[in-house]
Amino acid sequence: MVEFKKVSKNFGSIKALSDVSFKVDKGEFVFIIGPSGAGKTTLMRLLLRDYTPSSGEVIFDGKDIATLKKSEIPDLRQKIGVVFQNFRLLPERTVRENVEVSLAVLGVAKQEWDQKVNDILKMVGLQDRAELFPSQLSGGELQRVSLARALVTNPKVVFADEPTGNLDWETAEAIVGLLVKISKEGKTVIVSSHNKTIMDKLGKRVIELKAGKLVSDSGGKK
Amino acid sequence: MHLKVALDYIRRAPFQALAAISVLSVTFFVGTVIAILVYSSSQLLNYFETRPQVIAFLKQDAVFEEVNTLQSRLEADPRVKDVSFVSKEQALEIYKNATADNPLLAELVSPTIFPASIEFSLIDLARAREIIDELKANSVVESVGFTASLGGGEASLNEVVDRLKTLTFYIRAGGVALVVVLGATSFLVLMIVIGMRLTTRRGEIETLSLIGAKSGFIRAPIVLEAIIYSATGVFFGWLLALILVLYVTPAILSYFGAIPVLPRDTMSFFLLLLAILAGELVIGVVVALWGSLLAVSRSLKSK
Repeated sequence: MVEFKKVSKNFGSIKALSDVSFKVDKGEFVFIIGPSGAGKTTLMRLLLRDYTPSSGEVIFDGKDIATLKKSEIPDLRQKIGVVFQNFRLLPERTVRENVEVSLAVLGVAKQEWDQKVNDILKMVGLQDRAELFPSQLSGGELQRVSLARALVTNPKVVFADEPTGNLDWETAEAIVGLLVKISKEGKTVIVSSHNKTIMDKLGKRVIELKAGKLVSDSGGKK
Repeated sequence: MHLKVALDYIRRAPFQALAAISVLSVTFFVGTVIAILVYSSSQLLNYFETRPQVIAFLKQDAVFEEVNTLQSRLEADPRVKDVSFVSKEQALEIYKNATADNPLLAELVSPTIFPASIEFSLIDLARAREIIDELKANSVVESVGFTASLGGGEASLNEVVDRLKTLTFYIRAGGVALVVVLGATSFLVLMIVIGMRLTTRRGEIETLSLIGAKSGFIRAPIVLEAIIYSATGVFFGWLLALILVLYVTPAILSYFGAIPVLPRDTMSFFLLLLAILAGELVIGVVVALWGSLLAVSRSLKSK
């Protein structure tokens, strides 16, 4: 499903990623861990073709995404649901509108929006917050809106970048619980985190990055 | 959805919207006034061009065949149109009609003092001099009158022609220049306002791009916003010009008398103004599309 083959990414003299290789299969749940600056967000941006690798290949669905034309990049991104570290919600739109944006981007017929948005908000437990604005929500709720927006289009892959970063233990566990739930539905889930407690508790595959290098992979095929 | 977002953008920064709409309103106000001036000057020229501008008064002893030859020659001449022969009796009749309010004047004159004439209009006023000179050289022609020089005599013929042409030129060229300058200013203001919008919404644009929005999806509300500014500016500019024109129309019609510088019936008058509105809306939308797409392209490139 997703494969990084000897991927390096440099920003001038700074090496954000060095020779990173791993493969994530369809339906797999993977944690990517490492301290700040280890290269976790760079991985996400490479997967979204927001960055192009300095060397190596990023394969998605059997295709090297570096070879995609500019006009094909939105199609790639529509297949990947991203939960951003800083939520990246649209501050002047309500929770419902934030989730609807994903459907609009995908070109889903408007008459289907209500059903899909209500279902996903119910799943993340925000059905009673639908008409509120992001500024009226707590950190955990914002994270769940971000998750709802990522999931509402039924993407093949979900990449959650530090989804538990600023959350209390209980909320973090609830968010990860949701990610595990959608993984069980057959989606590929990649979660970047530095919350070791949750990882240890779940016992899923863990890829560890340090200073841009892959230092360990608990169960993958390199 | 895009329209709602565009309206939200406007609602959240009303002063930027007001600035853009004001500048566009001024542009299209001037545009409407100039369009009406161009129409009126065209009507004025057309009025003079369709009047029998040249009258060749024939000698009393002119032979019918010679007159007939001259008339046929003029009818075949591509420089003139609407050639007609006016007999002595018809000339007297015209005089009687013109002095109908004072029949004594008509009784005092003899039909023989009115010469027969050949009247015609000119295709191009600039060629009046050469045609008149040719006529004067004709053996059956006594003298030549040129109605466009009334009040100035033939000596001022070139001056009259030049004055009419200069006036038309200044209205058209000056109008176009003014509209181009104001149009360019409006275009820049529109680009600046849209550019400011894009700067404040950079995060939103980046997020939309990262979740897979195509450039058309990102551009749509911004382009719609520019079109709303432009269409509103067009409408207010046109409305102000309409009020002004309605206010001055009675004075203009009275001043120009029989010359139809503006349509006299209400339906034609409003059809003219609606045609101007439609034209300006098309121009407004083109300016909005061009300005906003340029601003968005610059913004997306600089990301």
